[in-house]
Amino acid sequence: AGFFAAMAKDILGEAGLHFDELNKLRVLDPEVTQQTIELKEECKDFVDKIGQFQKIVGGLIELVDQLAKAAENEKMKAIGARNLLKSIAKQREAQQQQLQALIAEKKMQLERYRVEYEALCKVEAEQNEFIDQFIFQK
Amino acid sequence: FSHVLCLLNMMTHQELVSCVGWTTAEELYSCSDDHQIVKWNLLTSETSQIVKLPDDIYPIDLHWFPKSLGIKKQTQAESFVLTSSDGKFHLISKLGRVEKSVEAHCGAVLAGRWNYEGTALVTVGEDGQIKIWSKTGMLRSTLAQQGTPVYSVAWGPDSEKVLYTAGKQLIIKPLQPNAKVLQWKAHDGIILKVDWNSVNDLILSAGEDCKYKVWDSYGRPLYNSQPHEHPITSVAWAPDGELFAVGSFHTLRLCDKTGWSYTLEKPNTGSIFNIAWSVDGTQIAGACGNGHVVFAHVVEQRWEWKNFQVTLTKRRTMQVRNVLNDAVDLLEFRDRVIKASLNYAHLVVSTSLQCYVFSTKNWNTPLIFDLKEGTVSLILQAERHFLLVDGGGIYLYSYEGRFISSPKFPGMRTDILNAQTVSLSNDTIAIKNKADEKIIFLFEASTGKPLGDGKLLSHKNEILEIALDQKGLTNDRKVAFIDKNRDLYITSVKRFGKEEQIIKLGTMVHTLAWSDTCNILCGLQDTRFTVWYYPNTVYVDRDILSKTLYERDASEFSKNPHIVSFVGNQITIRKADGSLVHLSISPYPPILHEYVSSSKWEDAVRLCRFVKEQTLWACLAAMAVANRDMTTAEIAYAAIGEIDKVQYINSIKNLPSKESQMAHILMFSGNIQEAEVVLLQAGLVYQAIQININLYNWERALELAVKYKTHVDTVLAYRQKFLETFGKQETNKRYLQYAEGLQIDWEKIKAKIEMEITKEQERSSTSQSNQSVGLKL
Repeated sequence: AGFFAAMAKDILGEAGLHFDELNKLRVLDPEVTQQTIELKEECKDFVDKIGQFQKIVGGLIELVDQLAKAAENEKMKAIGARNLLKSIAKQREAQQQQLQALIAEKKMQLERYRVEYEALCKVEAEQNEFIDQFIFQK
Repeated sequence: FSHVLCLLNMMTHQELVSCVGWTTAEELYSCSDDHQIVKWNLLTSETSQIVKLPDDIYPIDLHWFPKSLGIKKQTQAESFVLTSSDGKFHLISKLGRVEKSVEAHCGAVLAGRWNYEGTALVTVGEDGQIKIWSKTGMLRSTLAQQGTPVYSVAWGPDSEKVLYTAGKQLIIKPLQPNAKVLQWKAHDGIILKVDWNSVNDLILSAGEDCKYKVWDSYGRPLYNSQPHEHPITSVAWAPDGELFAVGSFHTLRLCDKTGWSYTLEKPNTGSIFNIAWSVDGTQIAGACGNGHVVFAHVVEQRWEWKNFQVTLTKRRTMQVRNVLNDAVDLLEFRDRVIKASLNYAHLVVSTSLQCYVFSTKNWNTPLIFDLKEGTVSLILQAERHFLLVDGGGIYLYSYEGRFISSPKFPGMRTDILNAQTVSLSNDTIAIKNKADEKIIFLFEASTGKPLGDGKLLSHKNEILEIALDQKGLTNDRKVAFIDKNRDLYITSVKRFGKEEQIIKLGTMVHTLAWSDTCNILCGLQDTRFTVWYYPNTVYVDRDILSKTLYERDASEFSKNPHIVSFVGNQITIRKADGSLVHLSISPYPPILHEYVSSSKWEDAVRLCRFVKEQTLWACLAAMAVANRDMTTAEIAYAAIGEIDKVQYINSIKNLPSKESQMAHILMFSGNIQEAEVVLLQAGLVYQAIQININLYNWERALELAVKYKTHVDTVLAYRQKFLETFGKQETNKRYLQYAEGLQIDWEKIKAKIEMEITKEQERSSTSQSNQSVGLKL
């Protein structure tokens, strides 16, 4: 029976027909079918893996982007701070100038008060002298 | 230093504010590069947009049409001129309607100003042209043209001249064609702003050399500021000319008219491009480069009199401090304080609606009355009354608040009066004429009518400053004044009857003041401080004037000092740098004045003997002669060693009649004509002739002799004697004519003279006995 079976197979095989394990008639050689299926499986696996990889890489890229942005932000902040620092120095200078002007003004006022005070002291001295003289003459 | 600016910074504009202008004391218009014109109400702190100009109009300068003078109903400006960057100026109503836009210049119109009367407008532009326009915006003339832009322009006080910038130069050009143009280099950088005050006639300029300067109207420099950190972008006079404001980057300054700075503020404003003073001179507004409008009002002004010190602490509050006991009183006012004056034991305060009069004895119950027009521009005080000057007139009030009088004169413009051009005493008001500066108007205080027969006091030169003396009788009232050449003159205000001469007292006098308690005059003469203890000496005995003076070196006061007050024997002088210097003079001359005014001659002599000062004796001598007290005069002249005068006084005493004595006293003071009149009126013809002979006044002697048909031979005899003594020949035609055929008989003449004298003696003795009889009855 085996012989006949093998014979039949060969004959069928030549006609492009095959039997599988369950003795069902197949157009494709079951071995090829097997391999095809395996290939298909493997392909699917591969696609899945690729997909996963892509996802992972995408995440990575996003992360890196975020980092880049953050870095950029920090950089800008740093530049800003540096500029601010520079301008504060300038501002201080301006403020100092303003205060200096105000001080100069106050100094002038002080000088005026000093002159007035001295004049008043002189008047006081004169008046005291006058009083002394007056009393003395009497 | 007695003036401080209280600042308020407000913002509504998106772009820089280019110009501001006040309508009333509480309402301001501002224009900005965001094309908006905004109205600010300071009472309600509201702002409202008046108009949004088209996008191509960038406003540059704004000036309100002046209030019509004399029309009282119209209390605020109704329209303004706005110049813009597109070469046009626009006449815009108060409500924001553009009435007219006129194509005026090629390039931007940089400034536009109405004259004081509102009859003409001047505009200047980037094209270097200065154009004059009518009230309605019709071109009248192109006044001048130059190669550089004109940044700023101002009218002269009389609206007859225009001041404008030409790069680093300033130019004053009269409207009258062919009149002399004044031009001078004023700054080391481009000049950005000028202003010319109508009251003090001073010019302000500011430029890119970071300085501001004050000039007089002849272009002479009066003040030159220190350089600032930034260009000065604006300057503006206060209406009364006492203060001015200066604006620069983050800077606002308030200065005295002499240039020194009262206060400096550093507001966060950017550059202040334009400054405008409110009409009452209490507030300023500044147009700021950062879109703000900065408001400031002036507080901390201080008034001092004797032991009282009054300070304006807030806009409506004053603080009075009695220095003797440190007692403090607070004075609250309903409205803003505009002007105040403290003198003669009274404080007079004008607010926007009322006038308050406080007595220094009682600060709690002021006398209050309503004002006719709001803005008082000047308060002057005398012992009995005070004077208020506002836009409409001059009003004299008593300290009880009673209206006394309101002097008026043709062409009166009250807005330009100040303490130098008006003077008040207990009986007289003197006002310098602005139209003809050689003339002083004199008014009787009690009626406001011109004094006497209305004759004006006129001088040969322009007068700068006038001052009336404060004490003594109305008849002796004197006015002292300084003229353009800085000469000091004195004269009587009595302009009727015999006109008293205008007599020169000093030269190079910068400033003067009369004492408030007696007629002592002080002034700064060149580098000396001079006190005229008895200025009337010039009318009595001019020879001893120099002996009645007190002088001391005043070089310590440097340039342009000003006498602030002369109270009792205390004088306060403000130096050019703003510092006050106090001086006291001897207290004796005021006491002497007092004795003499109450005819206490014996006390006066005793005082002089006690003090032992030549000056005082000289004053007494002059005072005694002026009051015809020859006994005292003799003592005083003897004390100062004027022996000739003592002898003359003695001879006067021995004269037979009162009239003769009187005439010789007049002669003593140099009033020869008057002396002659006195003698002739008394019928003493011979004596009149004799005084002329004694003075070698031959023509007049002969004239009198011929006219009265007496003593012709006497005159001829004396003439011959005179000619013989000097070995001369007769050349006088009249004498030759009368000498013909006349034989001179000295015996006869002597007898005649003898007779005249006995006649005079008899006459005076009978009149005296008549008088005594009359008294007995």
